Amino acid sequence: MIAPKKQNLHGNPSQILPSELIDRCVGSKVWVVLRGDKEIEGTLRGFDVFVNMVLEDVTEYEITPEGRKVNHLDQILLNGNNIAVLVPGGKPEDS
Amino acid sequence: MAEGQSGAKTPADFLKSIKGKAVIVKLNSGVDYRGVLACLDGYMNIAMEQTEEYVNGQLKNKYGDCFIRGNNVLYISTVRQA
Repeated sequence: MIAPKKQNLHGNPSQILPSELIDRCVGSKVWVVLRGDKEIEGTLRGFDVFVNMVLEDVTEYEITPEGRKVNHLDQILLNGNNIAVLVPGGKPEDS
Repeated sequence: MAEGQSGAKTPADFLKSIKGKAVIVKLNSGVDYRGVLACLDGYMNIAMEQTEEYVNGQLKNKYGDCFIRGNNVLYISTVRQA
């Protein structure tokens, strides 16, 4: 029996660690989808091992039955606990 | 974990920079607390002064001193002051 070849994480340039991907987003706009009908968009300034994030020029979207509530904030430290999805480049239908 | 964030403002840097400043703390429940940040730690446990409690954007209560346990915190925001 032939043992499967060990994957070399650094050998294949198309393999990126999740934390590396976030690191590449530092300084650019990101769109963060939280658990529970909340979204946040802003410029990523930094993050830690828990993916707590420092964001700047932030727009907070809250989806309620009455419609979308929008809130602007200067600089925030977002708790990583509720983060579901992080999209590099910001919100797609940004208008 | 070493991250290549040279020149980045990590959560630890942010926490250091906002001590004594006016902040807005939003909890997971949606309640806002506005006040002056007295001290905080890595768990995002927070002690605040001159705290105003906003529920649905309306002022509900005022506290001279208050403690917020970190697990309830959604975000800590700086306040742009004129």
